[in-house]
Amino acid sequence: MLSIKNLHASVEGKEILKGINLEIKAGEVHAIMGPNGSGKSTLSQVLAGNEAFEVTEGEVTLNGENLLDLETEERAREGIFLAFQYPVEIPGVSNLQFLRTAVNAMRHHKGEAEMNAAEFMKLAKEVSKQVDLDPAFLKRGVNEGFSGGEKKRNEIMQALLLQPKLAILDETDSGLDIDALQVVSNGVNALRAEDRAILMVTHYQRLLNHIVPDHVHVLAGGKIVKSGGRELALELEERGYGWLGIKDEEEAAANSAN
Amino acid sequence: MKPAPTLSAAFLYPAGQSLPEPLLALRKQRGTALVDMPLPTRKTENWKYSSKYLKLTDDMAISLPAEHKAGSSLAVPGYKVSFLNGVMMPEASDYPDLDGITIERFADLDDDAAASLADRMDSTLDNKAVQMARLNSARFEDGLLIRLKPDAVLDQPLFIVHEVNADASGSAYPRIFVDAGRHSQITLVEEYISSGSEAVMVNTVTEFTLGDGANVTSIRLNTEGENVQHIGATGVRQQRSSRFESHCVGFGGPLRRHDLQVRLEGEGAECKLNGVVVTQGKQHYDNHTTIEHVAAHCNSEETYRNIAADQSHAVFNGRIHIHQDAQKSNADMNNKNLLLSNGAEIDTKPELEIYADDVKCAHGATIGQLDEVSLFYLVSRGIGRREANVLLTMAFINELVEQIPVEQVRDTAHTRLNQFFDQTFEGA
Repeated sequence: MLSIKNLHASVEGKEILKGINLEIKAGEVHAIMGPNGSGKSTLSQVLAGNEAFEVTEGEVTLNGENLLDLETEERAREGIFLAFQYPVEIPGVSNLQFLRTAVNAMRHHKGEAEMNAAEFMKLAKEVSKQVDLDPAFLKRGVNEGFSGGEKKRNEIMQALLLQPKLAILDETDSGLDIDALQVVSNGVNALRAEDRAILMVTHYQRLLNHIVPDHVHVLAGGKIVKSGGRELALELEERGYGWLGIKDEEEAAANSAN
Repeated sequence: MKPAPTLSAAFLYPAGQSLPEPLLALRKQRGTALVDMPLPTRKTENWKYSSKYLKLTDDMAISLPAEHKAGSSLAVPGYKVSFLNGVMMPEASDYPDLDGITIERFADLDDDAAASLADRMDSTLDNKAVQMARLNSARFEDGLLIRLKPDAVLDQPLFIVHEVNADASGSAYPRIFVDAGRHSQITLVEEYISSGSEAVMVNTVTEFTLGDGANVTSIRLNTEGENVQHIGATGVRQQRSSRFESHCVGFGGPLRRHDLQVRLEGEGAECKLNGVVVTQGKQHYDNHTTIEHVAAHCNSEETYRNIAADQSHAVFNGRIHIHQDAQKSNADMNNKNLLLSNGAEIDTKPELEIYADDVKCAHGATIGQLDEVSLFYLVSRGIGRREANVLLTMAFINELVEQIPVEQVRDTAHTRLNQFFDQTFEGA
């Protein structure tokens, strides 16, 4: 489904990704782990099409189509979804209006009829229950005044509504208490499907207790330095990153800055 | 040193004579005072950012004719009074006889009513600060006097459609006076539109006096064309416990100026002033507001938003003057501005003068651009660039548009905003 070959990317002239290679098949769940500054979030942002990052080399294809040629919104319509590490607050745009506009943009792209306000309200209420968000949140501004956990649940709610081919979850576990983590994990597990892939970017292993990955990769200094199965995450939890030759987080950050 | 420019004598020619004697006398007296009136320049503080847009040529001095024209056919949901080139068109107006409410054109007033009106005209405006209102007082050809007796309530909005017909160059001087008696209530919509394409100038004055407990909502919508320079003034005087609410929605032009002056003269009076301005191309719009807290225990709340695209230029100047005796005043002024291009300019100036020591007075002004991170968030959900830009721009003004209490005005505003978005975000 997703194929990344020798991907290099920079921000403000500083190279962050230094040759990423990754193959993700439909139905698989991959986890990318790594210390701060290793390039995990950059990879997520580059895949989603954030123009602040410049791809300098390499290629990315989604089901054979060159992803890097597509605008951000076209990528989304082709099925890329990024759950943001820091979801954006947009006062003045209601969550409901935002979600309906997004869902209808997708439907329009697929040649389906747009949903009217009443139809969408019904759907949105159902899905909000799935992530344990009070439907009252639908009337508030996008993420406006939401707690950290509410924001993350809103991200998963969007994924459930938009039904992407590839869901990228950037540090979706950060800032969640154990109850919220459970809710979010249930939402993500509900997304698992044979025709869908999930890429989780995380600093900690604990999310992987709830969402069990098929493959685990370690990202350091802008490259994937080790790949393995589920047991790799447990090993990292136990032994830290040191045994992989990644000395500490500061050094990794310094390396990636070079 | 170059002598300061003065109003061309061409503008002092006598206008039409079909008014009651007291109003003719007033007009003549105001006209005499206009001889050698200095025109605003960039050194004139309250016209600093806007004087360069003011272009009064002699062929604009002539009053535009109102004969043999139909007047606006704009359909409105409430009562309607049509003005064409500053003259009321009874055949294009539609309002019933209402208990306790009289709606009369100046030309139809008897001498007593005209004399009483003449005594009060200009009394709501500080004519030093609103220079161009004096021109209206010297040139008005007709006008509308609305009087509400105590406790009278107008059950539907009254639309006053001011059309300027610019088939030839010239000027128009619409004038309105609203006398809202004790505990009376009215919603007035002033809609300024234009037809024709010659260069014209519209110079308006609208005055409101609110008796104790009166409740007046004033809506002003300006969608005149690119050939129309508009210089308008609204003056308001409020007595005890009265409430004045204003919603100004304006789209830019070669020159757009509105001065809004509110005097809170009786205890417990309150005003709420909302404004939305949208400019594009090389358009201009300048809002100057003044709130005078004269009496104690009065509240004022002011919220203005400007959106400027392309090379356009918007100006907001908000003055709050809290007089020495106006203890326990509560004043809140907020102005936010959105620049949609690097070539656009917005100038904003809050001015606070406070002479009482026990007041609450807050003000805030910001100028910013659309947030790139928010934009990325929206498009990352498959929302198109145009739609994302529109959502974020509407987020900036939506609250104010939704507060306009007349649906038709909201609809007109949305239609015009959509045209603006099509032009501003095309190819985005």
